[in-house]
Amino acid sequence: MGLFLRLAARGLRDLTLHPWAQAFTLIAVAMVSLLAGAFLLVLANVDRELARAGGQIQAQIYWRPGANMTQVRGQWEDIRGMEGVRGLQSFTPDQALSALSNALGEGVDFAWLRTQNPLPPTAEIQLATPPEARETDYVKAMVSRLLALPGVDKVRLNPLQTETVRTWIAVSRRVLWPAIGFLALVVGLVVGNTIKLSLLDRRDEVEILHLVGARPWYIRLPLLVGGFAQGLCGASLALVLLKMAQTGVREILNFPPLFIQIGFLPLAQALGLILAVGLVGAVGSYVAVRD
Amino acid sequence: MVHVERLSHSFGQHFALRDVSFSLEKGGFLFLNGPSGAGKTTLLRLLHGALPVMQGRASVAGFELSTLPRRRVPDLRREVGVVFQDFKILPERTVLQNVALTLEVRGVDPGAAERRVRALLASVGLEDKALTPCGLLSGGEQQRVAIARSMVANPKLILADEPTGNLDLDLALRLMDLFKQLHTYGTTIIMATHNREVMAQVPEAQVLALRDGRIWEGQIAGQIAGQTEGQTGTAQAETSRADGKPDDDGQAWEDGA
Repeated sequence: MGLFLRLAARGLRDLTLHPWAQAFTLIAVAMVSLLAGAFLLVLANVDRELARAGGQIQAQIYWRPGANMTQVRGQWEDIRGMEGVRGLQSFTPDQALSALSNALGEGVDFAWLRTQNPLPPTAEIQLATPPEARETDYVKAMVSRLLALPGVDKVRLNPLQTETVRTWIAVSRRVLWPAIGFLALVVGLVVGNTIKLSLLDRRDEVEILHLVGARPWYIRLPLLVGGFAQGLCGASLALVLLKMAQTGVREILNFPPLFIQIGFLPLAQALGLILAVGLVGAVGSYVAVRD
Repeated sequence: MVHVERLSHSFGQHFALRDVSFSLEKGGFLFLNGPSGAGKTTLLRLLHGALPVMQGRASVAGFELSTLPRRRVPDLRREVGVVFQDFKILPERTVLQNVALTLEVRGVDPGAAERRVRALLASVGLEDKALTPCGLLSGGEQQRVAIARSMVANPKLILADEPTGNLDLDLALRLMDLFKQLHTYGTTIIMATHNREVMAQVPEAQVLALRDGRIWEGQIAGQIAGQTEGQTGTAQAETSRADGKPDDDGQAWEDGA
């Protein structure tokens, strides 16, 4: 174990042999990792939005302004009992006005509108397609049914819940692995070439180590550790840059009707990215020094 | 310890070694003698696994070199200490670090390695240079570092290629005392040298004279010590075949001895 740690420490020390080459490698690895991270970030956010909706379809139902509230309340109860409806959040015009005031922040008071409230009664419902039904057919039928209710003005589906988004996710997932594979290849080549440079610089030492009986792993281990460290550092740098970018655009989609706050990668994915790039760096080094 | 049978080696069209055969028992001392290009270094490199055995057989410390897989070469090298003609030391590292390298690759604890190296450096006269980078040493001092490195792991066999070539006679003789001491402890030594006075330090040692890659003569070092260069040449010519080739069985050494 002591020998392993000594060799690992030497691998890290050797990274200072060619500071410029190492810096360029670090930048290259960080850029490639940033691309991979950005790709993952988009997917993670779409996934998160889907999860937030509980994997269900969301729809907003708007009644005509001035609708009979007694009738509307009865309809809310009817809707709750419909097949596939998993939840319903209702808003009377007054509640909608208060919610709007709150959403717009302190200092905004719509109390003066209370007597002539222009907002209609609304309800937001979560729908889950019954197992035996096709989603499109079910949604179409449900929208028609809701629109047929007396007093209902319009029904709007949450844009994130459309099939288009689902298709996009499916295509992205299909593209994800080839893209990640390609980026991994680039990282491996970049790190491998830098390690080769380091090996060339140390060729006398390597020759002497061979001559005094060093086993191949003794010579390779510091180089593998160096490649692994380059991968880790590059990916970590990429995540720092990604976090800065994410902080900058976090609220960019946070407006009606999207209300999407762009979040950062989940911790497991972030750590996975760092580890994966580190391993690719180590593999790149291994390929570079195997002979 | 070392058994070589009809060993040949060529670099392209040029044969560096032809049909060389000899044996050396455990604890033996063998001088390889001969002019530049005689094949001494090639023979040492073959015995160390630095060159592949292409023709013939060679067995070193129980390792059959003609069939030794590449992955087992480090095992062979752990049994064999080598002093190279060009030293092969790392100039930016200190004397201590260079000598300790042999122990380091064997996983010896750094503290224990340092104690052992410092003790050895005292015996090669480098105790006050332990922390000096090797690049700042003279050729003779670098030679001693290389010798210390070959000895530090107590190998079964030491292969030394002109180990006293860069040293003045006094120092060369002092270092020969070290080799003799190791020999006394049972280490087998094969040393390539031109220096008759060095050879005279181990009169009981065997001498294998090489010329153009062939065995030219085998003698006892003590016999050569009393001869001048010309006399030796005459003696070798007299005991060799008229055509200058070794005996058919390639056992010129055994014949001469």
